[in-house]
Amino acid sequence: MTAVDWIVLVLRVVLPVLILPALVVPLTWLERRGAAFIQDRPGPNRVGPFGLAQAIADTVKMFTKEAVVPGSADRFLFLLAPGIAMFAALSTFAIVPYSSTIEIAGRQVPLIGADIPIGILYLFAITSLSVYAIVLAGWSANNKFSFMGGIRSSAQIISYELAMTTAAAGVILAASSFRLTDVVALQQGTWLGVIPRWNVLPQFLGFVVFFVSAFAETNRLPFDLPEAEAELVAGYHTEYSAMRFGAFQMAEYVNVVVASALTTTLYFGGWSLPGYHPHGVVGAVLSLAIFSAKTFFFICVFIWVRWTLPRFRYDQLMRLGWKALLPLALLNLLWIAALVAWRIL
Amino acid sequence: MEDSVTVERLLFDASAIVALLFAAVMVLHRHPVKSVLALVVSFFSLAICYVLLTAPFIAAIQVIVYAGAILVLFLFVLMLLNIPAEEHRRDTRPIQRFLSGAGILVFGAMLVALLRDAGVPERFTGAAEQAPAKAGEVLPLARLLFSEYLLPFEALSVLLLAALVGAFVLARREPRGAGS
Repeated sequence: MTAVDWIVLVLRVVLPVLILPALVVPLTWLERRGAAFIQDRPGPNRVGPFGLAQAIADTVKMFTKEAVVPGSADRFLFLLAPGIAMFAALSTFAIVPYSSTIEIAGRQVPLIGADIPIGILYLFAITSLSVYAIVLAGWSANNKFSFMGGIRSSAQIISYELAMTTAAAGVILAASSFRLTDVVALQQGTWLGVIPRWNVLPQFLGFVVFFVSAFAETNRLPFDLPEAEAELVAGYHTEYSAMRFGAFQMAEYVNVVVASALTTTLYFGGWSLPGYHPHGVVGAVLSLAIFSAKTFFFICVFIWVRWTLPRFRYDQLMRLGWKALLPLALLNLLWIAALVAWRIL
Repeated sequence: MEDSVTVERLLFDASAIVALLFAAVMVLHRHPVKSVLALVVSFFSLAICYVLLTAPFIAAIQVIVYAGAILVLFLFVLMLLNIPAEEHRRDTRPIQRFLSGAGILVFGAMLVALLRDAGVPERFTGAAEQAPAKAGEVLPLARLLFSEYLLPFEALSVLLLAALVGAFVLARREPRGAGS
């Protein structure tokens, strides 16, 4: 491997894998301060300026606390579950193009982990595996509350995966490719000179279904029934302590980041802006900034929704998934198919 | 036949062995939940084999449908019913042991007969570059599925629907004394 290969490897693989889990530190701070702001209280404001060091203090605490394995737990699976959660969360980002293409020593390097032909299918494959982390955590702990959380989660994720995939199928159809780089390329330019060609406009319905399903897939309020604290203590991770609990926490935030990044890429043009043509390294940095800003917006929506909406009841959750979101996603798919067939899109 | 052993070949062999091993674990393990988990590992290894055979689309579908949906459903049902580990019981019908042995022999013979003529895929022999084996990729697969194999494909979906309706009829209980 030459020096250029190493640079490419670091840019495409090492940096995202290092940065993603580290994001959990600022994000927990943002979440807690945001919650406090919405609930009209100060929130963590003692450690460091604006309480910024609180999240670091919490991380140190998690690493140094005792990690308990319950005596009646299935030890191997209990220890395996947080690992699966982290693996699934971190490997999904690989197919998201987080910036434009740069040129290094005469080579065109698209800034994406792996631009594989099956693209988004890979992501759905990995997320469909992430449910095992929650199910195994719930089952192996040998605790009724954990177990209920695990059961709820498997039913919920199966139900919402369907709607989410069908909604994303609309985007795949419009781009006629599974690659997210092609999806971004499709959304360059404008309609009538002013309206950006973002997928959210022709497929608004698909976007709504996708985004709502993303809340269920990441187990966030209003769909956080697997860990509903009022009834299940903490659901599937009740028995976890120290950094094993931290791993679940981290996986949740990484999932939120990936879901936001995916929403940005599928429906809001990814790193592109109308009338913006990236050039060189500065262009790549600018593209990354645009991508990050859009993603950050959706992360804020995730936090905002969590502290504003009440939790759904279980039957409501199932009814919404099967009787509202799935038909809407199918309708969206039909609509996009018609647009593509008549060559409007 | 002179193969130069490539990294892909090694990976393929490793995942094939893992798939077989965990398939055996699935059959032999006495705890149903552990059996399902072994099958997940087996299916995942099989998906890796598909990727190495230049069929990434099949691999993704394998993981999404089998490992991600069907086995999660299995696990869901097993956990809901909370089935404990099977007990080791004495064999009451010795004929079963004999028949299973005979079955393994026949299957093994069939496998050997089938595989004797099949060579190693070109991809693994080092002469892979000029042979674009694209049969497993999305576009050619879709073409085949919606032209040559359209009728079998649709018939298969009707078959699945029939199974679904059958399961529903079997599982449904007639309401007794409706209303009261």
